[in-house]
Amino acid sequence: MFQSRSEYDRGVNTFSPEGRLFQVEYALEAIKLGSTAVGVQTAEGVVIAVEKRIPSPLVEPRSIEKIVEVDVHAGAALSGLTADARTLIEHARREAQNHRFHYDEPMPVESIARAVCDLALRFGESGEGGDDDDGDDNDKNEGDGEDDERSGPRLSRPFGVALLIAGWDENGPALYTTDPSGTCIHWGAKAIGAGSEAAQNALQEQYRRDMRLAEAEVLALRVLRQVMEEKLNAHNVEVAAVTRTVDHARVGQFQLYSTERVKACVARLPETETATS
Amino acid sequence: MDRPLSHSSFLPPLFSSAPHPLSPPHSVPHPSAAPSVNAAERPARWSPYQDNGGTVVALAGRDYAIVAADTRFSVSFSIPTREFTKITQLTDRVVLASAGMGADRQYLHKMLHTRLAMYRHQHQRDMSLPAAAQMLSNTLYSRRFFPIYAFNVLGGIDSATGEGFVYGYDAIGSHEQLKVVCSGSGQAIVQPVLDQQFSGRQRYSVPDAERAPSLTLEQATALVRDAFASATERDIHTGDALEMWQITAAGVRQTRYELRKD
Amino acid sequence: MHTTEPIVTGASVLGIQCVDGVVLGCDTLASYGSLARFQRVRRIVQPGADWVLGGGGEYSDLQEVARLLETMVTREYCQEDGVVRAPRAVHRYLARVMYQRRSRLDPLFNSLVLAGRGRFLGVVDMYGTAFESHVVATGFGSLLALPLLRKAWRPDMRMEEGAACVEHCLRVLFYRDCRALSSVQLARVPAEGAIEVSEPYELGELQWHVAQTVA
Repeated sequence: MFQSRSEYDRGVNTFSPEGRLFQVEYALEAIKLGSTAVGVQTAEGVVIAVEKRIPSPLVEPRSIEKIVEVDVHAGAALSGLTADARTLIEHARREAQNHRFHYDEPMPVESIARAVCDLALRFGESGEGGDDDDGDDNDKNEGDGEDDERSGPRLSRPFGVALLIAGWDENGPALYTTDPSGTCIHWGAKAIGAGSEAAQNALQEQYRRDMRLAEAEVLALRVLRQVMEEKLNAHNVEVAAVTRTVDHARVGQFQLYSTERVKACVARLPETETATS
Repeated sequence: MDRPLSHSSFLPPLFSSAPHPLSPPHSVPHPSAAPSVNAAERPARWSPYQDNGGTVVALAGRDYAIVAADTRFSVSFSIPTREFTKITQLTDRVVLASAGMGADRQYLHKMLHTRLAMYRHQHQRDMSLPAAAQMLSNTLYSRRFFPIYAFNVLGGIDSATGEGFVYGYDAIGSHEQLKVVCSGSGQAIVQPVLDQQFSGRQRYSVPDAERAPSLTLEQATALVRDAFASATERDIHTGDALEMWQITAAGVRQTRYELRKD
Repeated sequence: MHTTEPIVTGASVLGIQCVDGVVLGCDTLASYGSLARFQRVRRIVQPGADWVLGGGGEYSDLQEVARLLETMVTREYCQEDGVVRAPRAVHRYLARVMYQRRSRLDPLFNSLVLAGRGRFLGVVDMYGTAFESHVVATGFGSLLALPLLRKAWRPDMRMEEGAACVEHCLRVLFYRDCRALSSVQLARVPAEGAIEVSEPYELGELQWHVAQTVA
């Protein structure tokens, strides 16, 4: 098996005889090195929480940014090569703003996730530098203001990052994942990153669709605590939520939790884990 | 430096008034291409625009919207056809009517339909009324320096509340959300009547409380019919037939009424 | 180089929709200003089997349009799949062509009438406006002949009657329009069956004796 792999994992656009794209699979492996991120969707909103690995006590924890706002009603947690995420997030933000410009409405969360996935597979070795020939399903209008991005040089390898996209659109709260293969899936609860396997098992056991938001906060942090190497505290996790706005607008509001608020959430955690209930 | 600018020096040869080198001697222009009877009537240079007249109206109540237009297509004093629709349905809840130039209208409607289809494919839902309104504005503004000569009124109901709204436009995309609007050749005749009868403005014989727009769908339908019948009396570019689209939560309904054909 | 004004022009084209097909008619004159320059030109062309095109306005532009449609039909033929554009599709295509040219400020100076199988009768003008109608008259005909055609038209009209009506209108145009000619062409486009485009022929029994009584 590994013999053929060594021959077919050089070109990013070359299938192996078994029909696999190894570079994309390697990129998926890169996610498994990234810090764990957990998302939980409830009727009251979506919570996302990420482990922040602080490599040294001299690092200012706030400078490590693992959760970002995409638009007022949507945010994303990152896992993997966070530098690669910048390109994807910038693309998502631009698409979301373009949508507001064209249609005077917030972009549906699923469309944001799809927009990210459109870009995920826009890599390759073609020397032309990514002219708009890739048949991407993204050209809705001419004059989209995307030309700068399209004509720019494309990334020569897959993006090594996965996103947990949380949002609240006219259809209510939503949690999506995107990964380097461009797959876009809607989840009730999902974990990505290094501890994702254990975390996903824990979520599967403990997640309920009728959870309250406060319960979701606790669940997300408990699951993180289980898989983190360090002891979880208010400084080595980041938490955000998309919740209903005060005026009950049709879309929700993304909010990154302050350290105090994270502290309050951490305080609500049970002292010890009762061996995976 | 303050050399006075000669206007003609900026005009491309297309717009020069010199006779065409191949022009026949003492050429009397013939109306076969541009059907104006009198040679003097024909513009000195060709214009890509044509005013094909027509009146469009949109008005909205608490739970309905009406979009209406006549079907006359005129070119100066001629009526090449009496059956030229100015209305297109954009979604189950949004209908558009455009007065102005026929060819530009057909182009615009086609363009909007492709964009609606792309939106539907991308977002798995129909465009809402405000979204369609914004997209129409952007589409018009994208031709800011070669305007689409169409004067649009957009009507529909809010997909969540079912309340009716209409939008009025100029040719380059300025727009406004309204409850009643009229555009086209009969605008000056119809708009004031609708302001008074529909919006309840200046009705001093009526107590304040009753002035608010509160017409039912049936009353509004009758009002629009009368408005078009009146415009047809005095505006030569309006007439032949009235197409009316009623938009309610139950869906859209299209009706047609005859108008004077003279 | 843009066409800023038509040079060699054809006059009216008339069309009428009958129960069993469509009749198209026009004269065979291409004028150079007031000069009756070319007197036996064909302004009705039949590039495809299912439809004919009649045109007025700049004659060279009409030839260009005809060339365009001939190329289109040749391409269809070369596909060898038997698929051809329906008359309505050709009509809309012409509308896009004309609209695109006017939007380039380089218009084709024509009024085009398309008649096709299935009782199709449609017009496209130099701005790209396209519509279908029971009766059609372009150019001066829109002033002189259109009212006559509208008055004569009945939903149950047959093609013999329609042809007589079109011929009558061509006669009126010859009497009244200084750019019209007595040599005319008719096209009969039956709903089913072969299209028949006549050779140019003279309108008979023209009467000018009233002219002597007009001082």
